[in-house]
Amino acid sequence: MTTPVPILVLDQVTKRFAGHTAVDGLSLSVATGAIYGLLGPNGAGKTTTIRMILDIIEPDAGSVRLFGEPSGGRTHTARIGYLPEERGLYRKMRVLDVLVFLAEVKGVERRAARAKATAWLERLGLAAWRLRRIDELSKGMQQKVQFISTILHEPELVILDEPFAGLDPVNTQVVKDAVLELTRHGVTILFSTHIMEQAEKLCDELCIIARGRKLVEGALSDIKRTRSGHHLIIGFDGSAGAAAQVFADRGLVNKVDDYGQYAELELAAGADPQQILQRLVASGARLSRFELQEPSLNKIFIDLVGPDAARAEARPDA
Amino acid sequence: MHKVWAVVRREFVERIRSKWFWVMALLGPVFFGVVFLLPALLAGRAGIKRIVVVDGTTGPVGARITELLDQSEVFHAVRVPATAHVVDSLTTAVGAKRLDGFLLLTDAAVDSGTAEYRGSNVSAFGAIAALERTIGEVVDAVRLEHAGVDPQVVARARIRVHLVTQKIAGGRTTGESAAQSFSLAYFMAIILYTAILIYGINVMSSVLEEKTTRIVEVLVSSLRPFQLMLGKVLGVGAVSIFQFLIWGVSVRLLLAQRGRFISTGDLNEARQVFDLPHVSTATAALFITYFVGGFLLYSAMFAAVGAMSSTEQEARQAQQPVTWLLVLSFVSMFAMLNDPGSPFAVTLSLIPFSAPIAMPVRWAAGTLPTSEVALSLVVLALAIVGVTWVAARIYRVGMLMTGKRPSVRELVRWVRTS
Repeated sequence: MTTPVPILVLDQVTKRFAGHTAVDGLSLSVATGAIYGLLGPNGAGKTTTIRMILDIIEPDAGSVRLFGEPSGGRTHTARIGYLPEERGLYRKMRVLDVLVFLAEVKGVERRAARAKATAWLERLGLAAWRLRRIDELSKGMQQKVQFISTILHEPELVILDEPFAGLDPVNTQVVKDAVLELTRHGVTILFSTHIMEQAEKLCDELCIIARGRKLVEGALSDIKRTRSGHHLIIGFDGSAGAAAQVFADRGLVNKVDDYGQYAELELAAGADPQQILQRLVASGARLSRFELQEPSLNKIFIDLVGPDAARAEARPDA
Repeated sequence: MHKVWAVVRREFVERIRSKWFWVMALLGPVFFGVVFLLPALLAGRAGIKRIVVVDGTTGPVGARITELLDQSEVFHAVRVPATAHVVDSLTTAVGAKRLDGFLLLTDAAVDSGTAEYRGSNVSAFGAIAALERTIGEVVDAVRLEHAGVDPQVVARARIRVHLVTQKIAGGRTTGESAAQSFSLAYFMAIILYTAILIYGINVMSSVLEEKTTRIVEVLVSSLRPFQLMLGKVLGVGAVSIFQFLIWGVSVRLLLAQRGRFISTGDLNEARQVFDLPHVSTATAALFITYFVGGFLLYSAMFAAVGAMSSTEQEARQAQQPVTWLLVLSFVSMFAMLNDPGSPFAVTLSLIPFSAPIAMPVRWAAGTLPTSEVALSLVVLALAIVGVTWVAARIYRVGMLMTGKRPSVRELVRWVRTS
């Protein structure tokens, strides 16, 4: 699914504000076509990072590469869609005019923008509202309009800053579906969140940052594997065969809680659970359950960020 | 450039669509007309005053004054002899508004030049002056006649001088009278002041709207902050020029009808005011140039004010220093009109913040050397570049800031570091 050329690369990006460092030597790489999660507690530097990617603010040090070119977001603005954390539209403008204007500043030709906006409004059931003013719309409708404005110009990279913040369950589902739909069309998604459950369901790659620094980055499955305690749960269906021999292999198993019909294993470093499965089956054991217990992303996050998360808001240089 | 154009278009179209624009467009000339004409009209349109002359003189003075007053366009006068209780009953009549006032004449008018007028509105300067003039005329004539001068000689001696004033510009007489020059200068100052203030604040609110709704984040990821600010200033500026066009056309239509106004009211003052000076192409060009210059200068400052504020309330406070610059320029107009060539006036027209009002005022009031206009324009242009540069930096940082308004020290740092 992913190609070897990353769509976005940050290299040692640093941003200091008066009194504290918001982002500190952050490097990351987003593969084309990925759903990439930028995770961190509040004040970790997620929004600052996104703003630097988009050229809204300049990094004090380090570089941003987009689409393989050493230039920031504004150069490629036609290929990037951005949904900021704090939403807002011109309240007195008509829905259609807002969409056309926001597409125009992205470089879309006026007439094309009109046609696309009309089509999208129809698709999301807002066609009847297109000549109404924004402040006549409900909050949910405004969110939809804003979402349309993010993707109207058919960007290749969509950056969503806390897309689920303040959404009710129904709208959360709508955004999730929209994100998945976009990835099916090959669009790369970068989104930030501090809600791990959503990240766990959506991301295939992620980066956890706290206090402006990267704690971990990689594919979700890799992170889970490397960060997990390697717990394996095995249930036997009658015959345990020669399971005890397998459990005794220190090359595979660190620790075992054997209950006869049920066992909990802690795997040795670098051990492959599939090898244990093969050896158990070969030993004549009948298995009713073979489950690799991964820690939830939430647990990894809390382990990584730790109690510092509470103090993450500002980190004075002095 | 396409993107800047989109911003310009949005500002223009959205503003023209609002009903406030059309209220301003249609009521603007009425408003300026009222501000401008009201004093003149109030002074002139007192109507015909009904007065009674209480004649306590022993000669023909009372009768002659009454006759002369009654002949004037200002008064309808009736003479009554001074009897007991007449003052009381007349006072009652004035109180009941059946009468505007009454004049108490005795021989003292001729002897020592004193008379008394009691009326409901003694501050109507025009009427009082006319009253004084008429009494003076008759009293003078009577005194001369008493001294044995031939009444015909007296009549010829009393022909009044009418001073015609004409402004000389560029070594030629322009046909503009002093009153016309004054009107023009006054008029231009009012329009410049009002328009720069209103449209400058328009820029500020627009900046503030984008900041408070956070649209600016999306915009600034699409175009450079300076492009955004430029588009905004140009868009609002275009609206103001469009507004002027509408005003220009409607004033022209109004003036085409001025004959009707004048023939209906026999008003000297109003006629003078309506007799607007011919606005030459040079004057119009100078006016527009200084308006554009002033607007660019001030709207850049207003944009910075909008960017550094987080709420309307904050912005209202923060705009005050900028507004005061403009108010001071406007107020000093009156001193400049007195003596357009004074060092004070010259200084003001060379300070870029006051030049947009000072220079057109001086131009209209007196004659200006081209070199002075050129110098003032150069200074103004430099100031626009400098102020826009500073404002753009404040704008850039401020647009993304929330929370407390920055201190002056923080502002300086924004300008330095951004």
